[in-house]
Amino acid sequence: MDFLRSIRIATGGMRAQAGRMRVVSENIANANSTADTAGGDPYRRKVPTFRTSFDRELQATTVQLGPVRQPQGEFQTRFDPNHPAADARGMVKVPNVNSLVEAMDMREAQRSYEANLNVVTSTRRMLQRTIDLLKA
Amino acid sequence: MAAADIPIFSMLRDRMRWHQDRQKLLAENVANAETPGYRARDLRSPSFDELVQGNAGSGIGTLRTNERHITGSVQGGSRFQVRRDTGVVTTPDGNRVNLEDEMLKVAQNQMDYQAVTGLYQRSLGLIRTALGKR
Repeated sequence: MDFLRSIRIATGGMRAQAGRMRVVSENIANANSTADTAGGDPYRRKVPTFRTSFDRELQATTVQLGPVRQPQGEFQTRFDPNHPAADARGMVKVPNVNSLVEAMDMREAQRSYEANLNVVTSTRRMLQRTIDLLKA
Repeated sequence: MAAADIPIFSMLRDRMRWHQDRQKLLAENVANAETPGYRARDLRSPSFDELVQGNAGSGIGTLRTNERHITGSVQGGSRFQVRRDTGVVTTPDGNRVNLEDEMLKVAQNQMDYQAVTGLYQRSLGLIRTALGKR
């Protein structure tokens, strides 16, 4: 049944977006997670990647969540001598999480998720029409 | 005589299959809306001639020049011609899916499908009337 295949492709897309949402929420939750030892590294932002693969069973290109990567680079610092993570100069490394970027990413994931859901709903209606032919 | 032997039914069935295949491609496009380098695809709509002659979507097959040859066909793939969308905006990561366009196509596909199934039902009703069941 080809309609069920379409639904499964869209479900794969929804699963990938849900995984992205999980990574984004992890970032937002850890936006203030500094180290607890002097001069230690704070939380490093995680970035989800998407991977296209050809599903032999569905005979279609589906999408999956690829490996979650962590962009390398220097952290920004903040002056706070009393913080447990402060180094000799009194500077504390803060996570490279920008809540504005994360919020944008979240919106994007939501939009994509809704689009996939829309495909599922539409395909289900078409399937229902096919079944209704029996009643004719 | 099966219902499929009546030209109108075979035509409508071909059209329904076309919509089914198109829905699958559109689902792929939407699912890959954010995959870098992915290009949107769509089905070429069958021409009137193809529908009337009933060879819409003969697809890719092997040519038999000897009757002892085995016929082959591409398995699983669509019987209809797939084309890549052109003239859409490409994002910096090489993705060529316009989510709004795809949503519009999904809605259109669904409505057209409803029209076709409606026609199918009406045609069945006609036959029923001819049989005197109403």
